[in-house]
Amino acid sequence: MNRFTRPLVATLAVSSLLAVSACAAAEPAGRDDNAETTITFSSYSYGTQGAAGDGMQTLLDAFSAAHPEITVLPEAVPVADALTKTKAAVAAGSPPDVQQLGYSKMAEAFATLPVQSIEEIAGDEWDAHVEGIAPGLVRTGENDGTVKALPFTVSIPTVFYNADIFREAGLDPENPPTSIDEVSEAAEAITATGHNGVYFGLLDQGKSDYLTQSVMDSAGGQTVDDDGTVALDSAKAVAGIQKIQDLTTEGLQPAVGIDDAIAAFSTGDLGMFVSTTALMSNLQAGATDKFELRTAGFPSFDSKDARPTHSGAGLVVLAADEAKQKAAWEFVKFMTSEEGYTMITEEMGYLPLRANLATDEAFLAGYFAENTLLLPPLEQLQNVTPYRSFAGAKSNQATVMLQDDAISPIILRGADTQQTLTEVADRIRELVESE
Amino acid sequence: MTLLTGPSRGVRQGAPRRVSSALRPWLYLSPLLLALGVWIYGPALFTLGLSVLDWNLTTPPTGFVGADNFARLFRSADFWQALGQTLLYAVALLPFSTVVPLLLAIMLWQRPGRASTVYRSLLFLPVMMAPVAVAVSWKFMLNPLLGLANEVVGWFGIPPVNWLGDPSTALLVIVAVTAAKVTAFNMLLYSAALSGLDRRTIEAARLEGASSWEITRFVVAPQLVGTTVLLGTLSLVLAGQWVFTNVTVLTQGGPDGVTDNIYYRIYTLGFEFFETGTASAAAVIVLLVFAVAGIGWRLVRRSHVPR
Amino acid sequence: MSRANHPMRRFGPVLWHTTLTLVAVAMVFPVLWALLTSFKPANDIYSVTPFSAEPTLDNYVRVLADWPVLTLLGNTFVMAAGVAVGQILIAVLGAYALVHFSQRARGPILVLVTISLAIPPQALIIPQFLMTARLGWLNTDAGLIVPQLGTCALAVLLLVQHVEAMPRSLTNAARLDGARPFEVLWHIVLPALRPAISAVAILVFITTWNEYLWPLLVAPKPEDTTVQIGLTQFQTAEGNDFGGLLAAATLTSIPIVVVYLFASRRITDAFLQSGIK
Repeated sequence: MNRFTRPLVATLAVSSLLAVSACAAAEPAGRDDNAETTITFSSYSYGTQGAAGDGMQTLLDAFSAAHPEITVLPEAVPVADALTKTKAAVAAGSPPDVQQLGYSKMAEAFATLPVQSIEEIAGDEWDAHVEGIAPGLVRTGENDGTVKALPFTVSIPTVFYNADIFREAGLDPENPPTSIDEVSEAAEAITATGHNGVYFGLLDQGKSDYLTQSVMDSAGGQTVDDDGTVALDSAKAVAGIQKIQDLTTEGLQPAVGIDDAIAAFSTGDLGMFVSTTALMSNLQAGATDKFELRTAGFPSFDSKDARPTHSGAGLVVLAADEAKQKAAWEFVKFMTSEEGYTMITEEMGYLPLRANLATDEAFLAGYFAENTLLLPPLEQLQNVTPYRSFAGAKSNQATVMLQDDAISPIILRGADTQQTLTEVADRIRELVESE
Repeated sequence: MTLLTGPSRGVRQGAPRRVSSALRPWLYLSPLLLALGVWIYGPALFTLGLSVLDWNLTTPPTGFVGADNFARLFRSADFWQALGQTLLYAVALLPFSTVVPLLLAIMLWQRPGRASTVYRSLLFLPVMMAPVAVAVSWKFMLNPLLGLANEVVGWFGIPPVNWLGDPSTALLVIVAVTAAKVTAFNMLLYSAALSGLDRRTIEAARLEGASSWEITRFVVAPQLVGTTVLLGTLSLVLAGQWVFTNVTVLTQGGPDGVTDNIYYRIYTLGFEFFETGTASAAAVIVLLVFAVAGIGWRLVRRSHVPR
Repeated sequence: MSRANHPMRRFGPVLWHTTLTLVAVAMVFPVLWALLTSFKPANDIYSVTPFSAEPTLDNYVRVLADWPVLTLLGNTFVMAAGVAVGQILIAVLGAYALVHFSQRARGPILVLVTISLAIPPQALIIPQFLMTARLGWLNTDAGLIVPQLGTCALAVLLLVQHVEAMPRSLTNAARLDGARPFEVLWHIVLPALRPAISAVAILVFITTWNEYLWPLLVAPKPEDTTVQIGLTQFQTAEGNDFGGLLAAATLTSIPIVVVYLFASRRITDAFLQSGIK
């Protein structure tokens, strides 16, 4: 090395060494502990524009009023990056104490993040508190035999439909279709009037498979078995997805992405749109003064009832410190109490997760007398099927694989249903069952 | 050692407090070397280390897995598709980062004045709005059911196209959408180069009666070769990164992965799947590819006899 | 220098204007559409007609009332300006030294600079983030700015080229007069570099302004975050508020337009100067 390169290399080497040594395990950030406890709450609803953001603020204010000894520091995070940010925070040594976590990311969080058992932290208060919450929702938050997530902002699939288009097509808006075959017939009538018939929003923007599961479950199949075996290529699961593909092949369903479908529905160009109740206020805003928006329950796929599963988020606790865990439990308890769920419905527009709330005058009876759109999906909530995830740390990757490599080509581009599902199922098996 | 070029300068005697000439260059270069060393090469070494581990960022790494991550990448069809498409992006964007901005910059330079300033600002406008908003705007326009794009092609009798949803058109659409930004940026750089031109040679040529075309071709263009080579190289290297935002917002890797590229793949592996080891391995591969390409380029250039 | 004396008068004015107008329309169209859509009410936002039947300022009112416009603009400005200034400093000092001093170190250093471009930034972000956390720089301006100085390769390469293109006669003359290297830099090189520095400053400023991933990780607190992150508040789990998003994006592009107009002056002014004395 000549005389010039040597000092150059030395400078770089020293800088690099400095950099690398700084990467050694980060120290956990210390927190001040006074008589008051402070907890951080990472929420993708917090700070957003619209009812949910305002509603979350109302909830937080109500909690502060009820529990002045606990200070909650909310952290806003874009919904697409919620898990990413928490993972980065954990890696940097300062995870949030409580997090609003989407159900499609939960299995991965359980496997890779320091998620605590809420059931254990609650201790004696657990049974009394959990009673009344829709059992399927609580079961979704179970991991290793204990409940680690309580349902928070939950939505389920519903059929949004344009009553004006129904009338134009000669259909009765008071009697919306209840089975997939009826949906198909209605779509045919609608297509004859020149509008698009129906769109099943299986290709969720967040790449969640909640609607895929709803279809497969209602058809008698499953994405995964109760013991974690991948089952999405079983005959019944395939049959369910086949019905959706048939809609596209028959010209009843446009082969577009979900954002385009929302645009079409809001412009009054699509008769039926099957997606999550979370979109309710957004679709209502688009329909104001344009057309009459109505909702119906998720259709059935075989001779039995529809079996939709849910989407949305639950609350998980990541705090390791005991005092913070207690404070976190108070927070979670408040948010999932009758009062909390009432506020979530009234202010944020999500579903009330305790059976008694909708009919109780003290809580939401008055609200539902006025806002009838949430009633049809609400009927299906109490018996909602738990949302299932693939096992282990790669569950999110498996879900994305299912959505991108199977559902998308099948529904939008006419790929062979059985073959594609089998191929992808094998790849997913390799991914998750090798853990 | 002599560090200064050119004739030896007049030396002022004494002044021991002056920086010694040996140290001076390193003083000027230290911010650069420090920035690169600490914030690029340090992390790069870390990434190199990560590429042979199996780590998901939060649980302790399960240990040395050797070349497993690399093997897994090589076996994955997604990886090869992403790599190939990165090349496609590079080639497709090349004219928009060299020829088009060059012509525009020259045109604007020929007639300085208010009109020129207005055009220049308009041409730069796509860069000034948030990338997310521009992408959203495109999404509206490219909606196959009721977007403006299909309305317009409908006027010409062409049936509606599923721009972003059709595997055969998606990549080109992403390129077209990104082209505006690339052209605008590079036009700015060419303008800066043009304003640094030596006017005297141009004046001299003009006085000798050269036509505008001849002046452009023989006086101006040769002075822009350096910039063009630089921008062309940058384009080939960075094209995949330039389309990143649009891929993220519009297609997320595209129907059947046709709009994927290696940078988006690394992002997906690292930030959505948290396969930090595999993402790092992919980055190492990218670096090796560029290193090989760079060395190859050097060899080719050296084999030409310099004029 | 008046237009009549400008050395180039190539196209007929009609062709010139036509071409530029067509290209300008093509480039501006998405921005124009975004602007038009921002004035549409929520129930009309997807319509294909450029102007809504009932244009409204609702989106803007909502954004100004509920969205922390000034905080976000302030944070983003500090970050973008900090990185731009930092990278220009690094690049000017570095380019000058590489061209005028260290002839033999130049090759290896330029290689290092070029290679740094080829390293995928998505892979480096995690180690950079961990380092920043370790330094205690999360949620600080230092954490936002300093690590982004590492991407100075572009600025360096561009300025090296411009410094190289300067006629040596100027710098040699100054040195013969006994000027010290720093004086040469300050009085001779810098003024000649003004258009280049302006161009690089604009580019770095805008690129940093548009950065998403880094502020997401490093500045999670709502009061510290930047415009790009703030814009995601309109894309929620309950659907997208496109009207609000586009109104917010329009409002927040105004500072960039100002920066651009300010800096591009220097480039166009240089056009009108008559050569290098």
